[in-house]
Amino acid sequence: MEAILQAVLSGLALGGVYALVALGFNITNNTTKTLNFGQGEFLVAGAFIGVTLVLVLSGKGHTGVLQPEDVTIVKYLTGLAAILVVLGILGVFLYYTAVRPFVGAAGLAWVMSTIGFGIIIQNTALGIWGPAPLAIPSPLGNEVIRVAGAGILPQEILIFVVSIVVMVALDLVLRKTKIGKAVRAVAHNKNAAALMGINVPAIVILAFVVSSCLAGLGGLLIAPVTTASVFMGLVLALKAFSAAIIGGLDNPRGCILGGFMLGLIESLIGLWHAELREISIFVLIIIVLVFKPEGLLGRKIVEKV
Amino acid sequence: MSRNAHLYAFPAVAVLLLGLPFAVSNEFYLKVMFLAGVYYVAAAGFNVLVGYAGQKSLGHAGLYAAGAYTAALLTAKLGWNPWVAFFAAGVVAGVFGIVIALPSLRVKGPSLAMVTIGFGIVIEKIATEWSDVFGGQAGIHSVLPLRLGAEPFAMRDWVLFVFLLGLITHLLMRSLLSGKYGRAFLAVHTAEVAAESVGVSVYRFKVIAFIVSAVTCGLAGALVAQQNQYINSDFITFGLSIFFLLVVLFGGGGSIYGPLLGAIVLTMVDAFLARWPHLQHFVYGALLLFALYAMPDGLAGALRGIGRKIFPRLHERPPVPTAVAEWQLQRSELLHKEAPLLEAKGLYKAYGGVVPTNDVSIAIRTGHVHSLIGPNGAGKTTLLNILSGIVPPDRGTIVFNGADITELVSNQICRLGIGRTFQNLKLFADMTVLDNVLLGQHPHMDVGFWPCMLGLRSASRQEREAREEALRILDFLGLLDKANEIAGSLPYGLQRRLEMARALATHPKLLLLDEPAAGLNPQETHELIGVIARVRDKGITVLLIEHHMDLVMAISDHVIVLDYGAKIAEGAPAQVQANPKVIAAYLGEESEEPAAPAVQPRPAVA
Repeated sequence: MEAILQAVLSGLALGGVYALVALGFNITNNTTKTLNFGQGEFLVAGAFIGVTLVLVLSGKGHTGVLQPEDVTIVKYLTGLAAILVVLGILGVFLYYTAVRPFVGAAGLAWVMSTIGFGIIIQNTALGIWGPAPLAIPSPLGNEVIRVAGAGILPQEILIFVVSIVVMVALDLVLRKTKIGKAVRAVAHNKNAAALMGINVPAIVILAFVVSSCLAGLGGLLIAPVTTASVFMGLVLALKAFSAAIIGGLDNPRGCILGGFMLGLIESLIGLWHAELREISIFVLIIIVLVFKPEGLLGRKIVEKV
Repeated sequence: MSRNAHLYAFPAVAVLLLGLPFAVSNEFYLKVMFLAGVYYVAAAGFNVLVGYAGQKSLGHAGLYAAGAYTAALLTAKLGWNPWVAFFAAGVVAGVFGIVIALPSLRVKGPSLAMVTIGFGIVIEKIATEWSDVFGGQAGIHSVLPLRLGAEPFAMRDWVLFVFLLGLITHLLMRSLLSGKYGRAFLAVHTAEVAAESVGVSVYRFKVIAFIVSAVTCGLAGALVAQQNQYINSDFITFGLSIFFLLVVLFGGGGSIYGPLLGAIVLTMVDAFLARWPHLQHFVYGALLLFALYAMPDGLAGALRGIGRKIFPRLHERPPVPTAVAEWQLQRSELLHKEAPLLEAKGLYKAYGGVVPTNDVSIAIRTGHVHSLIGPNGAGKTTLLNILSGIVPPDRGTIVFNGADITELVSNQICRLGIGRTFQNLKLFADMTVLDNVLLGQHPHMDVGFWPCMLGLRSASRQEREAREEALRILDFLGLLDKANEIAGSLPYGLQRRLEMARALATHPKLLLLDEPAAGLNPQETHELIGVIARVRDKGITVLLIEHHMDLVMAISDHVIVLDYGAKIAEGAPAQVQANPKVIAAYLGEESEEPAAPAVQPRPAVA
């Protein structure tokens, strides 16, 4: 029983990261019908930039070893600020080099170009940091908190809380503000939005900036739990993508639901057979897509003849 | 490349290729050649899926793994003959191809990418985690290599064998893709609905494309496992799936020579950069990003563009005859005049609260021209979609020529003899006019997969006959001189007429025309009346949707009027014209308060 509660708690934390990245997929998908297949590498970039900034602020080299007392909340937040700036710029760069030239082109060229962009980022990261993983202690310490017998790390609580806050904030922005209305208008119909005086290119760039920042945030949040590795991005992003597809790529709330579901399933299956985690998740995705191709909360697209 | 050029070039290239390994003794160079051959074989089949059928798979490393592990397990654990194991690898991979095809058929775009990625990862993880069977990271040792007699293949033999396999693959793919299969794959790629409407089963052709690609990727996997005499889970990565896709797209998807160029260039880049592994991946990333940018049709497309400028003669299509015999429907296809050709009873279709087809019953009489009219939103196109099988009705029955077709899908209905055109044109825009009409012939070309792939005479004879008939149909509609032009480049009016030609090529007993005069100028509309009359005189029954009332009144024997999904009137044109309900539907009733919501932009009912 305790073990199950434990799995649920860490599943929710993991799911929070999936949901954040999935939400990023949703935002660009709704505005441009494309998404960044190299998002995992953006997540890696987020993690490494965050860790490096904390290292530098602690007066160490960029591949140094951090002690728990080095990581204060202020340094962690400074790292976050740096991530948002750098990833935001990367997002703009991605849009101009890998997305815009291929939007609307036949044959999903943007899938390949964003994968290519990701590979370049990954190898740049390899060049800077090398293949060894970087560990960063949590700014909240490593003392396990007991909840009804199950242990949970403060960082896991942080991940869960931050992801919920970010998602609620985004949801409010999308629904209540003028800019959110503009984003939704672009998602529905670009031409009509442009005719209503909405600056469509600016909204689209904003979408890529937000999407990249969400991935970076996810990287920073998960780094203390799993240690940051240059190679961790692919699988994380694929799971986040699965989450988005399962929940419904065009529905932000569906993406969030999918993220938490996936986190829970993964962690519960891990309890039973750790080595079956990934296999069962991807089998599940295939099954869900066969029976509900538009995802759980997605809209069915009817082709007009 | 034209037929003759290929006839001369192929033997020359074959001799050159098979001689090449003898000119080289360096093991490293031989290995590079071997790998180029392996990647070519894999990519040649993968091209059918990616380049022709347009299904971007990101999980083909899984099929490569299926082949590699089959060969490894059969030889190392069960001691099978390596040759038998090699071919068994192709078969097993083909079966896996079906396994991945079935879920892939239900999804498109990013979801398809996800399904294939998921498949690849599941295979990768099974190979890694199920170490009792697959050896995991430690892998499977002592995989038996292919051998001649008792002598296992040396490096040079491997290269020779792979080159030979590549040459055979090239010939097979070339004959498969140059005829009806190539056209059908491309049709599935460009417009699924239109492909179905000319009798191409999208389902069937996607599955075939998956199987072909699976077999070649599986054989490639077996080659690598047997040459290395070893396989482990590190061979099977997401990166390999991407690499396969890169070979096809960088080389040029949808071109026979694309995978060849891609395999050669990328294997050489690979070998050249092997000393700097970081740089190697960096270059892949850059290639993915910028090759697509600079060469959207890949290397083959870029070279073709250059070639066309330097040697324009080499790329000319075979000339079109200036005169052909008149097009005739075959006798057996003519029907009795008296019996109703199609009877629909109680058709009902609702989308939520909107009911575009509300309990509609119609009868179509053989040899007559019927018109379906009604204000915008009356449900005319939906009715046509139901009759042609694109939209299944919620209730009701349709009997066509004595057979119940209510449950049938579009391509089956086409095969029974209902052809159609679309309101929003759905041509295969990148193909030539002639190829569009040839696709219409698809349901009558009954030569199977193997004769087409092996390039047997029966396949080429049928191709020739189909071409002759297609030219006659084009002549019948006055499009003969446009046969070699690209369909999408025709003026709008001719595109409409080409769609009709394509529908006629399916040998319809009943032809459904959805607004054939939309966007035509008065002159073209007038010509269209003559065309429809000639189609009718060939014994083809016509049902058309039209807003041009002068056209409707001039050509129709029978007019059916829909409003808000329900049939409100039918009869001879003059009768319908005078019907008060029809006038009310178009112009609104005087006694009722607000005017009817959907007034025609051009209320031509006099």
